Amino acid sequence: MLKKFALLSVALGLGLMVACSWISPKGSFAPTHPQALEQGRPTCSDCHGTDRVASTDKTFASFNHTEAFISNHKIQANQDPATCAACHAQSFCADCHGGKTALLPSTKLGNRPDRVSPHRGDYMTLHRIEGKIDPTSCFKCHGRSNNETCTACHR
Amino acid sequence: MQEVLNANAIHDPADRNGAVFGGWRPVMKHRTPLALLATLVAGTAMAQDVSVSTTTIAQTWKQNTPGFSTGTFTPATEYVGIDAVKLGGKDALSLHFYGWGMADLADQSYIGGKSTGDFTYGYLQYNFAQANAQLKAGRFSVTQGIGNEPVDGVSASTDLRCGFTVSAFAGTPVIFKNYSNQNQSVAASQRDFMFGGRLAWHAAKVGEIGVDYLEDGSSPATQTAPAPATNPTAMVYTRRLLGVDMKLTPCDSFDFSGRTVTDVAPLLAPAAGINISRLAEDDYTATLKFLQTFSLAGTFVERNLFSYFAGSTLPSLFNQNEQGMFKATGAKLTWQAPGNLQVVGDVRRTDRESYGTTTRGGADLRYTLPESHILAGVGFHKVNAAQVQAVDLLVPAYSLSHSEARAWIMAEKGAYSASLDAIRLHYADPYLNPSLNGQSIESAIVGSVGYKAKNGAKVSGDLTLEDSPIFGKQTIALLRLEYRFGLAGKGDK
Repeated sequence: MLKKFALLSVALGLGLMVACSWISPKGSFAPTHPQALEQGRPTCSDCHGTDRVASTDKTFASFNHTEAFISNHKIQANQDPATCAACHAQSFCADCHGGKTALLPSTKLGNRPDRVSPHRGDYMTLHRIEGKIDPTSCFKCHGRSNNETCTACHR
Repeated sequence: MQEVLNANAIHDPADRNGAVFGGWRPVMKHRTPLALLATLVAGTAMAQDVSVSTTTIAQTWKQNTPGFSTGTFTPATEYVGIDAVKLGGKDALSLHFYGWGMADLADQSYIGGKSTGDFTYGYLQYNFAQANAQLKAGRFSVTQGIGNEPVDGVSASTDLRCGFTVSAFAGTPVIFKNYSNQNQSVAASQRDFMFGGRLAWHAAKVGEIGVDYLEDGSSPATQTAPAPATNPTAMVYTRRLLGVDMKLTPCDSFDFSGRTVTDVAPLLAPAAGINISRLAEDDYTATLKFLQTFSLAGTFVERNLFSYFAGSTLPSLFNQNEQGMFKATGAKLTWQAPGNLQVVGDVRRTDRESYGTTTRGGADLRYTLPESHILAGVGFHKVNAAQVQAVDLLVPAYSLSHSEARAWIMAEKGAYSASLDAIRLHYADPYLNPSLNGQSIESAIVGSVGYKAKNGAKVSGDLTLEDSPIFGKQTIALLRLEYRFGLAGKGDK
């Protein structure tokens, strides 16, 4: 028993040593952006030019908050959440992506018309049209969560 | 806070502890969120920097619409967020909490009851100074790879040598209650464990390519819920998704990003004549920047409804058995003009097998005056969906075409802020479309004024005037109190 335990410990220790030797020696991405940013959507390449992020080799320009970046930000969030976290608190994501939300993002952020918020105005009417045109756009937020209210009609 | 605690104590057991679980599990599970929450809140006492943000929102409006709840609604909603860093004096250790509670002061406004709430996330995080390595434990949102949902569990990620990155998570899903008429206990028993991971590789002049896997449910659906032979897909609850994601950035002026996801859950052999595509999603965007101020983005999306809707908790609406395909192609041209003006033109063509083709096109302008703290924007989009057929059993065909115009402005001067947001929709077929009640115009305008005190408190009030085909004319008043203090928070950019 003791022999097995010793062998297992050695194997685990060796495994950990090998695994640790694989870990990148590069420093982590800054946890917080060192300078306060101006109001509005940032253009990272304005300051970072043609530089690349050391830990991921991506260009800073690819993080510019263009319309295309914002509408396709899921890829960035899936690949490099650390870069998002340099400026955004987790609660920023929860404004729209909370597992269960109390208010429409556009209601909660009614004083922030600059933010991208779905369902502005009375969306009840429009959802009957957009749901027919593209139900997959509804599924992203309502397919698994935020669908208690859907069941009032969609039983 | 108490509202949040109560809400979870009520909400979670109903979702998670169905009759299928053994006697000890409901008791343990009942207390787990409370114990976790208590630990997290107590843990902030060990932090050197703590930031707390609270937002209280009270609304009031009257509703008298046939087919909907009628009455006077006055819901009050409280959001609480806590970020505590440098726990125990260690720079890398932090704790994060966020949740909300809501109570109706008059008639019931929310489907779940007159009081409800949610413990959105609460986790302990350790960031290593090297290799972007990170550990998380508690309730958090999975954003690695395919997953994008809350989990009670642990996650770990790190960069490896030679450009590799690995991440993994495991736990129990927070949300899985199945809103269908089928036996709830079957679905719940299959969603007691969830895990996933991502292995990626990146290189300069290339970008990053990853392989992702997500599995939700510890037992194959086909073993616990045999599907009828005539409909092999009817009882599939287990999600097993395998994907490839990429963001290629060979140079500053071009990047290509997107992902392909396939559904690999085991299925019974489909009946003769039924072809089931296992491709869930192709979603790709290519962006080209040129002449310094222009960028052109092209998108291609393809989703197979059967596989894309796998794991839906609302199968009555997101019905896997529809077995249709959705495709979309689009382009977006952005011009960052001199003088802080941004102009965006976009067009998108969508095709849903069962409903037809739709084209959406328009433009948005956004103007920024940083010195004056003024932001403004206008936009107009036209949706041509005239080819949509057979959209309703009662009416064989009607147009879903409509146009949307929006204008907004927000300004800050000293401690004061104000914003105005107006939206107007014009529907093309108000008489045949039964949703429109003969009304072709829908409009809403939201005005807001706010005052920010020096101690981090901000009060703002919104007044919304709406006129819609369903609800008619409505006035909604909203009072918002925001309070933030502490040093640990990031901005709310």
